[in-house]
Amino acid sequence: MLPVVVVHGGAGHIPKERSETAASGVCSAARAGYAVLRGGGSSMDAVVEAVSQLENNPSFNAGCGSVLNVKGEVEMDAIVMDGKTLGSGAVSAVRNIANPVQLARLVMDKTSHACLTAEGANQFAWAMGVPKVPEESLITEYSVMRWTKNLAPDANPVECQMGKMGTVGAVAVDSEGNIACATSTGGLLNKMVGRVGDTPCIGGGGYADNEAGAVSTTGHGEAIMKVTLARLILFHMEQGQSVEAASDLGLAYMKSRVGGLGGVVTVDPQGHWAARFSSLQMAWAAAQRDTLHYGLYAGEHVTQSIDNPH
Amino acid sequence: MCQVSADEAENNTQISQNHVSMAEVLSEEDRERKSKMSAVVVVHGGAWAIPDELAEASVSGVKAAACEGFSALKRGGNAVDAVEAAVRALEDNTVFNAGHGAALNANGEVELDAIIMDGSTLASGAVSCVKNIANPVSLARAVMEKTAHIMLTGRGANMFAESVGVATVPTETLVTEYERKEWEKRKHYVAGVMEDFNSQWAHDTVGAVAVDCAGNVACATSTGGIRNKMVGRVGDSPIIGSGGYADNFSGAVSCTGHGESILKVTLARLILSHIEQGKPVAEASQASLRYMGDRVRGAGGAIAVSPSGQWAATFTTERMAWAAVEDDVLCYCIHKKNLQPSPVAPDSTPSWIEK
Repeated sequence: MLPVVVVHGGAGHIPKERSETAASGVCSAARAGYAVLRGGGSSMDAVVEAVSQLENNPSFNAGCGSVLNVKGEVEMDAIVMDGKTLGSGAVSAVRNIANPVQLARLVMDKTSHACLTAEGANQFAWAMGVPKVPEESLITEYSVMRWTKNLAPDANPVECQMGKMGTVGAVAVDSEGNIACATSTGGLLNKMVGRVGDTPCIGGGGYADNEAGAVSTTGHGEAIMKVTLARLILFHMEQGQSVEAASDLGLAYMKSRVGGLGGVVTVDPQGHWAARFSSLQMAWAAAQRDTLHYGLYAGEHVTQSIDNPH
Repeated sequence: MCQVSADEAENNTQISQNHVSMAEVLSEEDRERKSKMSAVVVVHGGAWAIPDELAEASVSGVKAAACEGFSALKRGGNAVDAVEAAVRALEDNTVFNAGHGAALNANGEVELDAIIMDGSTLASGAVSCVKNIANPVSLARAVMEKTAHIMLTGRGANMFAESVGVATVPTETLVTEYERKEWEKRKHYVAGVMEDFNSQWAHDTVGAVAVDCAGNVACATSTGGIRNKMVGRVGDSPIIGSGGYADNFSGAVSCTGHGESILKVTLARLILSHIEQGKPVAEASQASLRYMGDRVRGAGGAIAVSPSGQWAATFTTERMAWAAVEDDVLCYCIHKKNLQPSPVAPDSTPSWIEK
């Protein structure tokens, strides 16, 4: 059952013309994470690698391809968590860097803190030698189009919001049984300057504990925060629920209590995994026992050999 | 209905036994009085090794804040009004590390974090790393009530403050002479050392929890963070589920102590999950703080209320100044050992000092 890595490319409504790139994006991220694990890398190395790939892929709302805030700027959030020590690192409202998930890991590894925000996070990035990238390199034509469209007085922000997928993330268990999670996002389209969503909040955007499992979440950030979705799902697993049942219980509770939709990827210490969502779609992929699994729509589950895709 | 507890591991047996029997008697009483919903406000002024010279001022500060919160309820306010009023009083008091009296970061600046949460809707508002604001808890409330978001950070939080007409104050008005001196002494401290919350410089966080007579619960937490923290450091206080959480179905919690440890175990949410599993509030708080000590070696404290009005103030640090008002009776303490209930009279002679 071990090692295993599961990634998601965000829950929401994925426009048809973008569904193929979304599926191939999560598949290559899962392959990259699995290659790290097969090479003897830790679960932390694997989730950071998988999420970095998704950040570098302009199809996803994280790193390059992030949605723009109300001023047309890119502000990103990310978190990593190590299930062995419960150590975590997060950045919020950080700018001008290509891979926020890697900066989050530096916060965990190189400081005594767990979260750095805004200008302070950027100062730390420069002190660590993280290259500064121009904002334009993170902005795609698609994100500008959507930002402009949403500024129009007759815009339907909800519809526009769901058109672009949220957040990317990954969970993994390595062959030593260590568990990790990582989540990264550009946030909410046309968000206020300085808005922080669920992603960098421990227990909201993700949580990992070697004794229980790991979860990375996506969807309506404010709803996820209200129910601390990642931690909630792990509470259910601690009470004996399976990865799948716990994920469904958490998502159903979020829907009934605060009316929020979303999705999660979940693993337990034995390597059982689940990719569940209450939104219309969620791009997800998993790699385990040299098999790649992926899907986009409810009930869709394609499997293929990880080395011979066809 | 009050359940006062301290970490048994650090207490002698005699005292633990006293606490157990007290908890039993009071929970009996709780059952009898269940039909009559009682309003409760509990506040804390931070869990750390409060030095003797600050002890008396800390206790009178939490007493006054608890009374402020309770008067908000008496005036007809709800639980959210009560925790906001209580935390504002603590922020305005320079003895505490929040608002006026906040700790300075590595650059000698003030960066504040706060959260507020309404247990009836799970709505919450938070600000992190905000500058030049006297009452971050009220700004957090404005985020909750006037935006579609839950959390605003840094410059964006300040821009929002300006847009809703929250006055900005010069940094110097938030900095006390005491803090400036302590900061000077400590500025050679290298970030990367594990902060020891039983040392006397780790000045911490304030918070409040309340239940109103309609059975609504709320929490609020506010802090200047760790002295000499890195610029932009966000601790547990503004993070939902860590610095605080409130849910009408289980209760409300506000946490204090080593922020990075509280984050690791999402302490507020953990305590409430124990309550959801049927543990009394004091036991839930104790079990969670013990877990935080065992699993990540972190010390801290928490105040908790249940929707039925049970409450507890629990800590594993040397001291935590706390006060509670329930049915017009004020309880307060700073040490692990004693509890001094008295009628609400902020001027009464402090009888809590342990010699």
